[in-house]
Amino acid sequence: MTMKRREFLTTSAGGAAALTVLRGKAWGQAKPVKVGYTLSGTGPYSVGAGITQGPNYTLWQEQVNAKGGLLVKGEGRRPIEFISIDDRSEHETAVRFYEKLMTDDKVDLILPPWGTAMNFAVAPVANKYGYPMLGPTAVSNKLKELSLPYFYALLAQPDPIMEAFVGLLKDLKAQGKISKIGLAYVNDLFGIELYNSATPHLKQAGLDVVDTKSYPLGAKDLSPILKGFKAAGADVFLGLTYPPDNILATTQAKEVDWNPAVFLTAVGTAFPFYRDRFKGADGVMGIAGWNPKVKIAGAREYFDAHVKKHQKEPDRWASAFAYASLQILERCVGEVGLDRKKIKEMLDSTEFQTVGGPIKFVKGMNVSTPGMVGQWQKGEFEILWPKSRATGTPVVPKPAWA
Amino acid sequence: MALVAAPEILSPYYRSLALAILADVALAVSWAFFSGPSRYLSLATGAFFGAGAYVTAIAGARLPWPLPVLGGALIGCAMALVVGALALRLRGPYFAVFTFGLAELAKHSLIWYETGVTGTVGRLILAPPGPWTLYYTVLCLAGLAVLTALLLRRSRWGYALAGIGADEERAETLGIDTTRVKIGTFALSAAFMGAVGAAMAPRWTYLDPQVFNPFVSFQTVIMALLGGATTVAGPIIGAVFLGLASEILLLKFRYFYMLGLGLTLIVVVLALPSGLSGLAARLRASPSPLPRPQP
Repeated sequence: MTMKRREFLTTSAGGAAALTVLRGKAWGQAKPVKVGYTLSGTGPYSVGAGITQGPNYTLWQEQVNAKGGLLVKGEGRRPIEFISIDDRSEHETAVRFYEKLMTDDKVDLILPPWGTAMNFAVAPVANKYGYPMLGPTAVSNKLKELSLPYFYALLAQPDPIMEAFVGLLKDLKAQGKISKIGLAYVNDLFGIELYNSATPHLKQAGLDVVDTKSYPLGAKDLSPILKGFKAAGADVFLGLTYPPDNILATTQAKEVDWNPAVFLTAVGTAFPFYRDRFKGADGVMGIAGWNPKVKIAGAREYFDAHVKKHQKEPDRWASAFAYASLQILERCVGEVGLDRKKIKEMLDSTEFQTVGGPIKFVKGMNVSTPGMVGQWQKGEFEILWPKSRATGTPVVPKPAWA
Repeated sequence: MALVAAPEILSPYYRSLALAILADVALAVSWAFFSGPSRYLSLATGAFFGAGAYVTAIAGARLPWPLPVLGGALIGCAMALVVGALALRLRGPYFAVFTFGLAELAKHSLIWYETGVTGTVGRLILAPPGPWTLYYTVLCLAGLAVLTALLLRRSRWGYALAGIGADEERAETLGIDTTRVKIGTFALSAAFMGAVGAAMAPRWTYLDPQVFNPFVSFQTVIMALLGGATTVAGPIIGAVFLGLASEILLLKFRYFYMLGLGLTLIVVVLALPSGLSGLAARLRASPSPLPRPQP
């Protein structure tokens, strides 16, 4: 029985390989560069994967192939061919498929899956087979504990994010615009890590937290928390949220008729669909990383190309960093070829110019991008903090709910 | 034999596929040796599996392999004893609903504990055992589960369980200690589920309470029913069939595999009420009165 199964699978794999060859021929002489990844097409991770990573992967492939392919040092341009699979939001499936990509399909490069937990699961496999993996959607203080030399994180991690949050709040307090904070966080790794970072920063900044509440992932009603904050006289809502509870908190804040001077939430706020859902969401603040107004070469072009290809805007936090990770890989391959050890050496030693700004890795962590806070203002997510990155100034108190 | 030698000749991917399928075999077989004859539909597989996985996450770094697996078995067993004492008085859908709630209860208790006591949620498994070690561990578990199912079938205990499934009052009247038989078998099946969870956890490096996944519970039921829950071969066939079918559909038809899988399941359930193993038995037992399709 084992033999039969193996035969069957080998035949399937053979078929896939034949297809690859045919596709390669269609491109002309150059052998394609095989790039493998899994993204969640189904299951809970599919929303984020479909907003932040998938569109950027396909945009980059189209752009590079339009130029004649990926420039490989010493070989000229070779078309990019993706081998991608839906990991069904299952860690086991993702681990297995990355093993397949690296040992069976023998891809030249890999791109990461979506989300922190998925990156945790796959990064050790990538490390084992010596494939550099640049994760644009992995945020956790625990990434450092893993110490995997082939893993690189592009986003600002929880501590820098909280530094930015508290930096802005402290500044607003000094101006006399706010005084009391109501803090709520989701009881999941991300929310808890943000909360653990927030506490010392808030204390140090002398900010007054009148109430702190946590809630489980998948909470269906946050109105008691919001009502409590309102009754306690809080004029800042600091919500360390995931997208579903972020949407819920925003909807319910309006329902309980609470419009604090600052409404600051975490993940999801930077998605264009958040803005569209809340009629502009004017005045709502959240984690930011990027917008098309930043003074970075290529930023506006990236935005326009993304809108043109996908008829939707990139999100204002991680999207540009997903694209930046591809720019980084592109540059490495152009300068050192497809030798993954050399790519790693270059990743460790180079400062890269990307649509997300300069990026430099130290021990696999991007040290060039600070945590940022943004605010929806007339349709754009303006970056408010840190001031060195700002594209706008805070509107406080926020306008009434639309 | 082929399965024992498998890691020597298989590439890492096929080894992983075999590992995942063996884990499903162990889950489906251990589910079926309780739920099949007793007709108590348990949806607690995800809870026992998750608890076992957490044992590895918490104690894996301190205990040499395979002690975490043993720990997983013990915790699964202990949970089942408590739950069984409470819930096995419930019948039919009530028992199913209760066991389904167990995974959620375990998940939220764990979140409460982790946030309250350790101050974080999510754990890293930093020094996982090698892939071959995991493979053989799961192979052993699958083998043991099958052996247990075979022994159980032929034992007085197994007949008692089947008697409970046929008519619980009658079984009790006939002098069977129904509570003991039910809880004992339930705990034994949970021990396997916990052990499988503990053995699979190192694959994912990172674990958080989302590992208490109701999907595991449903998938186990589907695999067992697909193959035929009242036989020993049935759940094995179901797990292997579903594992291979979903993998092939996923690889070849990325956008249609859910549809394909759904259709396959509907067809099998409609056409083969006693599962795939029932089909085999039917073909063997009597020449079909209907004309067989010509090859």
